[in-house]
Amino acid sequence: MDRELLIEIGVEELPASWMPGLTRQLADRLKGRMTEFRIAPMAAVESYCTPRRLTARIAKIAERQEDLEETLSGPPVSAAFDADGKPTPAALGFARKQGVAFEELSRLSTPKGEYLAYHKRQRGKSAVDALPEILGGVLRDLAFPKQMHWDAKLDDGRGELLFGRPIRWLLFLYGGRVVPFTIGRAANAAGPQVLDIESGALTYGHRFLATSGRAGRSIKVRSFEEYQARLSEHFVVLRHEDRRDRIARELESHARRLNGRVHLKEHSTLIDEVADLVEYPGVVAGFYDRGFLTLPQEVLTTTLVHHQHFFPVVTATGELKEAFLAVVNTQPSDERLIAKNAERVVTGRLRDAKFFWESDQKTPLESRLDRLHTLLFHKKLGSYRDKAERLSSLAQWIARDILGSPQDAQHAATAARLAKTDLTTEMVFEFTELQGTIGGIYARQQGQPEQVWKAIYYQYLPVGVEADAPPSREQLGPAATTWAAVSLADKIDTFVSLTKAGERATGSRDPFGLRRQMQGAVRILMDLPQLTGTDKEVWLGPVLARAAEGTTGTTDPWTTELSEAALAFASERVRFALEQRGFGIEVVRAATSARDVSPLRARRIAEAIQGMRGSEDFQALAVLFKRVKNIARERRSPGALDRSAITEAAERALLDELDARRPRIEAAAARSDYRAAFIEIAGLRAAVDRFFTEVFVMADDVRTRDARLTLMADLRDLILDLADISEIIPQTE
Amino acid sequence: MVTLQQLIFKLSEFWASRGCLLQQPLDIEMGAGTMHPETFLRVLGPAHWNVAYVQPSRRPADGRFGENPYRLLKHQQFQVVLKPAPDDVQQLYLQSLEACGIDLRAHDVRFEEDNWESPTLGAWGIGWQVLFDGQEITQFTYFQQAGGIDLSPISVELTYGIERLTMALQDVDDVYEVEWAAGVKYREVRHRDEVEQSKYAFGQVDMPAAEFHALHRDLFDKYYGLAQTLLRSDLVLPALDYCLKCSHMFNLLDASGGIGVTERTAYILRVRQLAIAIAKHWVGEKAET
Repeated sequence: MDRELLIEIGVEELPASWMPGLTRQLADRLKGRMTEFRIAPMAAVESYCTPRRLTARIAKIAERQEDLEETLSGPPVSAAFDADGKPTPAALGFARKQGVAFEELSRLSTPKGEYLAYHKRQRGKSAVDALPEILGGVLRDLAFPKQMHWDAKLDDGRGELLFGRPIRWLLFLYGGRVVPFTIGRAANAAGPQVLDIESGALTYGHRFLATSGRAGRSIKVRSFEEYQARLSEHFVVLRHEDRRDRIARELESHARRLNGRVHLKEHSTLIDEVADLVEYPGVVAGFYDRGFLTLPQEVLTTTLVHHQHFFPVVTATGELKEAFLAVVNTQPSDERLIAKNAERVVTGRLRDAKFFWESDQKTPLESRLDRLHTLLFHKKLGSYRDKAERLSSLAQWIARDILGSPQDAQHAATAARLAKTDLTTEMVFEFTELQGTIGGIYARQQGQPEQVWKAIYYQYLPVGVEADAPPSREQLGPAATTWAAVSLADKIDTFVSLTKAGERATGSRDPFGLRRQMQGAVRILMDLPQLTGTDKEVWLGPVLARAAEGTTGTTDPWTTELSEAALAFASERVRFALEQRGFGIEVVRAATSARDVSPLRARRIAEAIQGMRGSEDFQALAVLFKRVKNIARERRSPGALDRSAITEAAERALLDELDARRPRIEAAAARSDYRAAFIEIAGLRAAVDRFFTEVFVMADDVRTRDARLTLMADLRDLILDLADISEIIPQTE
Repeated sequence: MVTLQQLIFKLSEFWASRGCLLQQPLDIEMGAGTMHPETFLRVLGPAHWNVAYVQPSRRPADGRFGENPYRLLKHQQFQVVLKPAPDDVQQLYLQSLEACGIDLRAHDVRFEEDNWESPTLGAWGIGWQVLFDGQEITQFTYFQQAGGIDLSPISVELTYGIERLTMALQDVDDVYEVEWAAGVKYREVRHRDEVEQSKYAFGQVDMPAAEFHALHRDLFDKYYGLAQTLLRSDLVLPALDYCLKCSHMFNLLDASGGIGVTERTAYILRVRQLAIAIAKHWVGEKAET
């Protein structure tokens, strides 16, 4: 502990959603600043977060900064002395700039000649002297999704200190002693109630709980060990994991007492979130009227989970019970006292939901179409009514012509036309996250077949507001194709129409979520067989072009440039999706070389390349392929191969191999057996190798040269049609 | 048992003892206590100011004809503004709850992220909703901007929902069952007002809907013009009065279905421009409206 660094930034309640990121950031930034200030952490940088504190600890750090030694070079020696051998103004200027006498300069030999130099040696400060600057840097470095003014400033020349929430105390210890540090306050705010924040050896426990005395008193600590012990006595569970485990345990035991269960796995995100809303978690059980169980399960769950952060209790068979569990920031002596109030909120919300549910049903989705006129989609693209028309036509076409399922086309058209009508319901107005879901439920209530209502229900997946996964085959049942058609049509229409309206995603700015839309489309197509049972490698180019036909009015035409930019954008999303699935960057690059974009084909090719990487022939051919590509670029005459000009044994052999393997490669590719295609391609290795050893491509004779270049180009095109396998070679070659 | 009026006494007493001036509600319809000049204008500029007051707040779209036990067209906010925000404002706030008779150790009181924004006022702030056993009882906001102007020093605004808080303290499930004073229920005091105001807000009047909407649009325009005139005459406070009138007319049009979605944005923008011009005048910058 004699060289332990302990920092606790005491804050007013941080938003739970920031905490995982802030915990990581704190460790990273502290490490970064320590390195910058040349104080080596001699143990891991640990960081912790509760709603009221950001804590970092390093068990041991260096006692002093490392000394800084550097040699600064000045003017050349040739220009440093005048005719009399006295230092020139340039030489004296250099010395002055370094703050030393001319005599203290040395000389430095370089290949370019001899230069004046100053060997600078700066002794490192002791850690305690350097640490304040490090903390100041860390406070500046921490990035928050939203920061605030709170009348604070630092004395580091940069003035105001913005932060995520006001800082109320600073525990700052090195080797058990306080490191002095001050956060100042704005002159026009400072006064008896707005004071500087001085670092100290004090922390604070839970806001309301204390074993003795008044809660919220300051607690003095000297080490991390003591800090943890005191906090734990004062009802603060410092580690997120410990809070989480405790919540999971308590949820389970409470649910058992109610003869029910809680879906811990399904609510894993919620558990993580509530664990960051409390310092000392406890659980209380509440109930609501059985009568509300007539509401759709989704509405009940949304009310409990998204609006209240409460956990629904289900029966052994998974049916909702009229009970919920609430995580609280205390271990209550009288659970009912809290539960009664929680029940009042839940009941209020469910009463509203029931009112919306009943009132929405009075206007069927069909009659809501006209109300979409008043909902603007985009000023250049008109209302959601216009979008509904485009969507309907596109979804129908996708179902029939792209997914090859004419029997689903009419259902897809109907689902797409009604898909956005739930935006006019009171339920969606109040529970935004239920958009799509509630439309699907209303469609079901109003007698639409499964193919239609499920397509509406799941339309936003796989990139929904809450869930980020596609629906399963089991969930979709007979609606698999209509869902894919509607969901795809919606995303493609949004992307294409907004692109035509001049909207773009640039850098971190993507106000219309174009990236997300394309991501969703790519994910559907990439897993099409698994999701829908339809094994089709869909090319995006024609789909985008068809979608573009649907948008008219004041938008830009779908030019070649726009189309190419859109495909490049889509290709980027395919690469991202493949990388997310664990493919190496070189495999991903190799598999996405095609100009048009087919996510499923790219995925399969990536899988096949991955499987071929153990093949020595394939690796060797990949190296040779780079040469093939380079030399084929020299080709000037574009005609077909002049076979009679191929005369030498080695080139003849390569041509024979090509002739023999081409049909097999093409046949394998046609049945999407890319592994078989690549095995055939790998078989070309010996012939290509021999060709490069024995044949001089750039022959003087024009006819011979053209034929050889054309042979190379044919080989290139055959392989490139599948993948640019030269990408799999490590870049050092 | 703490009655509704006792709660107001206790909060008033608590904040007066902490140096707040006790102000009165503004005698004009508004959606929230923030629009009262004691908040909207006082948070601007450098002068320190601590104030507390009750503000009846009208939200026509929340009208439920006196039938919903939780939702009201008109509710009462207890508003506290502290400028600059004191370092111990959270503790002060919690003490005010204790002063109202809440045992903080027996309940679950939490500060959960809820940043406040009012597009019509060009104002926003960072803060929380304070949850009392899961029920929102207070909006707690560090103002960052008002009337489009960056604030310095920073003010904190505490808005207590009087009805919600009383319901929790009295453990009743129906706002109309709340004891306003000993032996007098909320129903007796306010129910008829809720029914009649809801009918008006949703256009259930002896006048065709189109005419009803046209009348309110016309009122909006007239109030708007008057506010501009007042502002040109450097009469900032009367101009704010009529800006609030506009905002209320807009809320009525919105509730009664008198405006479409795109038009809605345009109305909000107009009120916002007025609010921004008023704020600029208040701090001494003349601006065009």
